Amino acid sequence: MNESLISPFNITHPTTVQSSLFALASFARFDPTGRYVATGRLDGTAAIWDLDTRSAVRVLDGHVKAVSSIDWSRHSRYLLTASRDWNTVIWDLANSCAPSQRYSTLRFDAPVVSASFHPRNSRIILALLSTGEVYLVDQRKSHRSRVELCEVQEESDDEGAGSSNRVRSAINIARFDPSGKHVFMGTSGGYILVFNTRTKTMVARHKITGAGAIKGLEFTKTGRHLVSNSADRTLRQFIVPTYPPPTADGAYIEQELEPSHRFNDPINKTAWHAMSYSPDGEWLAGGAADTATHKIYIWDISNDGQFASALDGGREPLLYLHWHPSRSSIASTTNQGNVLIWHCPHPERWGAFAGGFEELDENVEYEEREDEFDIDDEAEIIRRKMKAEEEEVDIDTVPEETRPRETQFHGVLPNDEDMMWADREPDDDREGWKLRLTMEEEWGI
Amino acid sequence: MDVDMAEGSTTEYPPEESSLNSSEMDAPMLESPPPSTDIPTQSEQPMKTSGPNYKTRYSLSGHTRSISSLKFSPDGSRLASSGADKIIKLWNTYSGDVLRTLVGHTEGISDIAWSNDGEYLASASDDKTIRIWDMKVGTEVKTLLGHTNFVFCVNYNPHSNLLVSGGFDETVRVWDVAKARSLKVLPAHSDPVTAVSFNHDGTLIVSCAMDGLIRIWDAESGQCLKTIVDDDNPICSHVKFTPNSKFVLASTQDSTVRLWNYQSSRCVKTYTGHTNRTYCIFACLTSTTNKYVVSGSEDAKVYIWDLQTRQVMQILEGHRGTHPTKAIIATASMEKDLTIRLWFDNRDPSMQ
Repeated sequence: MNESLISPFNITHPTTVQSSLFALASFARFDPTGRYVATGRLDGTAAIWDLDTRSAVRVLDGHVKAVSSIDWSRHSRYLLTASRDWNTVIWDLANSCAPSQRYSTLRFDAPVVSASFHPRNSRIILALLSTGEVYLVDQRKSHRSRVELCEVQEESDDEGAGSSNRVRSAINIARFDPSGKHVFMGTSGGYILVFNTRTKTMVARHKITGAGAIKGLEFTKTGRHLVSNSADRTLRQFIVPTYPPPTADGAYIEQELEPSHRFNDPINKTAWHAMSYSPDGEWLAGGAADTATHKIYIWDISNDGQFASALDGGREPLLYLHWHPSRSSIASTTNQGNVLIWHCPHPERWGAFAGGFEELDENVEYEEREDEFDIDDEAEIIRRKMKAEEEEVDIDTVPEETRPRETQFHGVLPNDEDMMWADREPDDDREGWKLRLTMEEEWGI
Repeated sequence: MDVDMAEGSTTEYPPEESSLNSSEMDAPMLESPPPSTDIPTQSEQPMKTSGPNYKTRYSLSGHTRSISSLKFSPDGSRLASSGADKIIKLWNTYSGDVLRTLVGHTEGISDIAWSNDGEYLASASDDKTIRIWDMKVGTEVKTLLGHTNFVFCVNYNPHSNLLVSGGFDETVRVWDVAKARSLKVLPAHSDPVTAVSFNHDGTLIVSCAMDGLIRIWDAESGQCLKTIVDDDNPICSHVKFTPNSKFVLASTQDSTVRLWNYQSSRCVKTYTGHTNRTYCIFACLTSTTNKYVVSGSEDAKVYIWDLQTRQVMQILEGHRGTHPTKAIIATASMEKDLTIRLWFDNRDPSMQ
């Protein structure tokens, strides 16, 4: 709504640091509403920061070792923290008692590298262990299960000895696509594996030539594009193929994926710690793994992936970054634990302080209207004004564009079986849910 | 008239009896059931007296000095009132009983505001503080210090994590409620700020002041986005956004209530007939099926206009705030009356 008063442009990329949260964090992620960031710390606590007030509103103390990942449920009610202490903890933020109590704990047999909620149902959880194993945990009553997602090992029929003896490669990264229909995993051997979430079977294996170990995967909001981070210090953007529904015989697609774009730093050849798409998918931000500076590279995807700018965040090296779910804002975390909130400032328009004053961007020749200096009958003016006031006004209807629209996910059909499966036994994470304001004194930060 | 205004400090609680103060709710718009057939609807007979039909049901007394503000809780079950007697009283809307009296301010109170969940109440006082009250327990939980003169108006944002306040130090301040910390100080006006509030999604702030200007601010950056000024520059005593934030409803001390389209800086509706030359009187919108504009008047009456036709539909003899979901109006007046009246419209479909 302000956008119409401020600027006619669409989302651009952020340019300057708006504020810095002293959070002692090792990473920070925005929630789906964009009102909060969740930070994870090395001491095992997680905190939720309100971006309106820039202060911590909840501290979640449930791990004894470093928090390795945080995920928000789709309407921000639940939070999933994973830790090196072999546990993942679910927090229900509707419970406002202090100190915060765990909602439930899932224990694994190794340190947990990352854990995420299914995008449509927070009772389905994907966990990646430091041993390179991936588990899909379903906590719904009628589906209760814990299944390891295993890569299909081919029998050597006509291929030669190479593939049959291939050691099962470890998984470095595992995550749901934005619809939750598939799980994408990156292996140390340079493959991207795709599993169907419902059947838990492998539907595709993509060789990424020349990439080396896959370290990171990020999707655009619709799931149409995918960017990978790999050991060769190059980010590759792919157009996500559409996968046919899984068949009973366990057939899968074996296909090499050719990137549509490659992004790297040609001069310093820096590696990348993290990357994130803008909400409209028009920009890609990459956080450089530079040991001396805090650098964020921005590429313009809508302009054929051209390099747009490099943001300099000072001297504390970058560990993580995450783009805001709807605005032109980035949260980047420094190795000192500070979270930098980047934004795109609008220049102050001083003309707005004067009523009836319009600022012009450039000089225009003023042409007076034909009747501009005519002397009008005052009664006539009033009559005309009253006439104009006859018009009905609508004081209730909220303009359509300010309401969030349902995202059309890539590769999802109406009445998709996988979506219906995930929607069964829904969690109680409802839209419009609000975090309760607490007046607790300090939250220990 | 301007001289009258210049003695603006008396806007607080002049010992006169002629004026009204009242309040309204920034309430969620709830769907009312469709009108039953035996009630003639507004669209059919817009000019007849079949419009609002508010009648006094309760007369609440308890305040010992002028009542400055009245607000229904978000669910409408409770009514809070504040006054120059430094106290806040909490009433049951449906029975008229006193539920609680909150004591703590050292000077008179000018304005109160409910948080969105109805658990907290913020009060702005002449003792230069804003206090946050826990309405469950009835105790003061925070004191916000910072204003250098009387605090005159206060409002929560929709998420209730921020407060905005304005006062006689001519600033608009944005507060972190949980930490009792001032986040922004906007040098907003060149005269006392008389009203300030957020829009429906909390992205904009509107403020108005005795300098006659209405300003729209970006809540996040604190930048001024727009200034609305009427030709005659009358003192602006109250302003608020419409539920969809497309317009602002402003009452000015030239005895006029105006509905402005702030995007185009155009006045789209003018409501007249009442008297408002001296005091800051609230104007508000009903949120029931039929849309009315309600304002107090210095002739000790409350005027109700039809939103669209701008006709006066009913005049309440006596005192005013509208109920968030039902056709109830609360009114209060200055000395010497000191009572609050609750008006119920039994013919409104929401009351069935």
